[in-house]
Amino acid sequence: MTAALEFRGVTKRFPDVLANDAVDMTVRAGEIHAVVGENGAGKTTLMSILFGLLPADAGHILVNGEPARYASALDAIRAGLGMVHQAFRLFPTLTVADNVVFREEPTRSGLVDRSESIRQVRDVANRYGLAVDPTEVVENLPVGVLQRVEILKALYRDAQILILDEPTAVLTPQERDKLFEVIRLLRDSGRTILFITHKLGEVMALSDRITVLRDGRSVAHLVTAETSPEEIARHMTGREVDLDRRAPKHSPGQAVLAVSDLGATGEHGRLAVHEASLEVRSGEIVGIAGVAGNGQSELIEVIAGLRAADSGSVHLNGVDITHAEVSARRSSGMAYVPEDRHGVGTSHRASVWANLLMSHQRGPAFQRRGWFNLRAVRKHARSLISAYDIRTGPIGSPVSTLSGGNLQKVVVAREISHGAPLLIAEQPTRGLDIAAIEFIHSRLIQFRNDGGAVLMVSAELSEILALSTRILVMFEGRIVVELDPAQVTEADVGVYMTGAHQEHPDG
Amino acid sequence: MADAQPIQGRGVAARVEAVLSHPVVFSLVFAFALGWVIVYLTGNDPGFAYREMYDGAITGSGLRNTLGRAVPIVGMALAVSVAFRAGVINLGGEGQMVMGGLAGSLVAIYTPGPGEIVIPLAMIVGGLTGALWAMLPAFGQTRLRLPILITSLLLNYVARAVTGYLVRFHFLDDSVTLTSTQQVPQTARMPRLPVFGGVSLSLVLVILAVAVAWVVYRRTVAGYETQMAGFNGRFARYGGIQVERQTVGVMVVAGAIGGVIGTHMIIGDAYRFIDGELVVSGLAWTGLLVALLAANYPPMILVAGLLFSGLQIGGLAMQRNADVSWRLAQVLQALVIVAVASRLAFDLFRRRRRGPTSGELESAGVGEV
Repeated sequence: MTAALEFRGVTKRFPDVLANDAVDMTVRAGEIHAVVGENGAGKTTLMSILFGLLPADAGHILVNGEPARYASALDAIRAGLGMVHQAFRLFPTLTVADNVVFREEPTRSGLVDRSESIRQVRDVANRYGLAVDPTEVVENLPVGVLQRVEILKALYRDAQILILDEPTAVLTPQERDKLFEVIRLLRDSGRTILFITHKLGEVMALSDRITVLRDGRSVAHLVTAETSPEEIARHMTGREVDLDRRAPKHSPGQAVLAVSDLGATGEHGRLAVHEASLEVRSGEIVGIAGVAGNGQSELIEVIAGLRAADSGSVHLNGVDITHAEVSARRSSGMAYVPEDRHGVGTSHRASVWANLLMSHQRGPAFQRRGWFNLRAVRKHARSLISAYDIRTGPIGSPVSTLSGGNLQKVVVAREISHGAPLLIAEQPTRGLDIAAIEFIHSRLIQFRNDGGAVLMVSAELSEILALSTRILVMFEGRIVVELDPAQVTEADVGVYMTGAHQEHPDG
Repeated sequence: MADAQPIQGRGVAARVEAVLSHPVVFSLVFAFALGWVIVYLTGNDPGFAYREMYDGAITGSGLRNTLGRAVPIVGMALAVSVAFRAGVINLGGEGQMVMGGLAGSLVAIYTPGPGEIVIPLAMIVGGLTGALWAMLPAFGQTRLRLPILITSLLLNYVARAVTGYLVRFHFLDDSVTLTSTQQVPQTARMPRLPVFGGVSLSLVLVILAVAVAWVVYRRTVAGYETQMAGFNGRFARYGGIQVERQTVGVMVVAGAIGGVIGTHMIIGDAYRFIDGELVVSGLAWTGLLVALLAANYPPMILVAGLLFSGLQIGGLAMQRNADVSWRLAQVLQALVIVAVASRLAFDLFRRRRRGPTSGELESAGVGEV
């Protein structure tokens, strides 16, 4: 069997970093090939080179034995490559069919033939078991379906080689299983699948063969049936990793955060949180699971003081903070690692020390009557940088020079160093590599063991299961169930996340 | 901040390149080069015109005039930058200056007493009036969600009309043909210092104000919190900074500076409040250009303010002696700003081609694969 894709010594150097260092990879026709590696391992760059978005400095790529030199992504698509991006690229106000046929519209006497495009899209969808109604408007569809639309786009263009970039990041376990079925079906119909991920469970479940990237080099070529998650992780990180770590039980104490019957309005006046009640006690981690957009973000924003509560109350250490200013909440003992670390958790134009100082700037250790003790400020920044092993240049350099993992460490270090009784951790490890995830998890566990109360929101069910003392599931703005992580599996949680348990869903 | 980029390598060439690639230096070189071409195309000798401009700005009474003009330019630039740095787009400097200027000069004209009391009193009243005027758009934004950008700009016209009315119908000096107040009495005029042919004491005050701003920016909680709000308002709110309250505070400071500068323009320069004169001079807008060029960095505000002042004074001399319109000075000012803007865009462009760092990718919303 000939190789569908061959990378031979592909090298790409940026001024500061060797992004790809003589990468070799062979993807056989008709297989599911996983490309795994931590963030910054060179996966993005490699795909950008394949699609003609970046020129390689050395080496070459063969597609079906032909040298691939694409001037643009359009050339690559014409050559039979299809890419499903992590962030969907769809027109929200158009129908599924319109999105799929965009730039390739079937025409009749020079005009777009919409009924024909609907027919063709339905054809392709049926052939691959992709349940999508071509006449639906995209903005009304859930993410799982949007992804199928993206796949349809590639298949409609008759892509023989399909590249899926972290496709499961936004899916529930049920949606993920459906996606895997589709991918297997595509393989069985003779297509080649390149599956980019850093989730080892998915690699083991889905792929035929694996290429591991580390620091820009292809460090291992593995056959899935002959390897183990531990071996892959070892290649990814270059060291032994303990994958099966569950937080040991810990006995919770006093209630730190008490939320009762909270209601809040989201964007566009939509009721985002309904009658949500919860309690977080010292020494426990309460994990909130849910499909993105079911009110978790709004709930946290209300607790953090960034969104107004319409009804209900929030008490922190017995003090009513329902309508308090952010600064008052923080001084009553709240620290907060926000979901959007770029837009909310940091300022990319500010320096490392200025980012580490935020929310501490009025503390008595750092100022007197409004004048900074600059020595204390710098000392604080340096001690956090060393305690959290933040890889950065001088403390005066802007944080935009930091990698995602180091940026998140800046946020986590800053918030934990408050020593506040309550820590809200929203998507604390999203998009981070294994080493950073391990590190942040260990800090959260340590915080809990020191008697802290943690309210965590995560889209990552494995994270929820591994860290939580109790699990709350949110669906359509309500907290629908409380689960004991020791008693449930990811699939069980997933059932509640989709609202499938409800006899009369009030959608 | 407009700090020089770190110089890599020790060679002279590398140093020269680093200096030339600094946005401010680059834009000055660019503006004067293009100005050279423009003068040449009008059939004049650019070398001669520039020499006359330079001589006119720093020789004889030119130096005094340059330093004198620098007072309102630097002052208004400082007022703008205090707000801009905190992310508050205050375009109402002109109105704040005009309102403060009238209030301050009326105090100077009608309050009996020695200069040691009347002059500071006039400055304080001028500053307070400017501050109050600036609070209108500030509360408009924090209470009613009316953008300061719009309201502060439109209130300039209101200020011009209100002061025009007051001068015309309540404080008119009938003895002159101007629409003007009485003259400020000798005792209530800002003293001049016996240096550079008699510069106003206000020059010292303005330099002091810039120095104070610099220290406050670098050393205080207020300086930090305003800067953070200017960088990223959501981050500031998240960190507990009360951005609304801060917006009002920043506008008060900016308005107060504007009001004091307006007062200085009457009691230290024109000696009578002539309707429309503070507006026609365009000083508030020149100050805005200086703040943009200096990227709100106080030492650079001083340098750029002196430069633009020299351009304006020198431009008049150039017109007198080289017969090139003083408008060329305005053209040069505008070119400097265009160059700053395009230089920043060019930087961005070059970074794209080089390939952004992962941090930049993420901040641009591009996820890691």
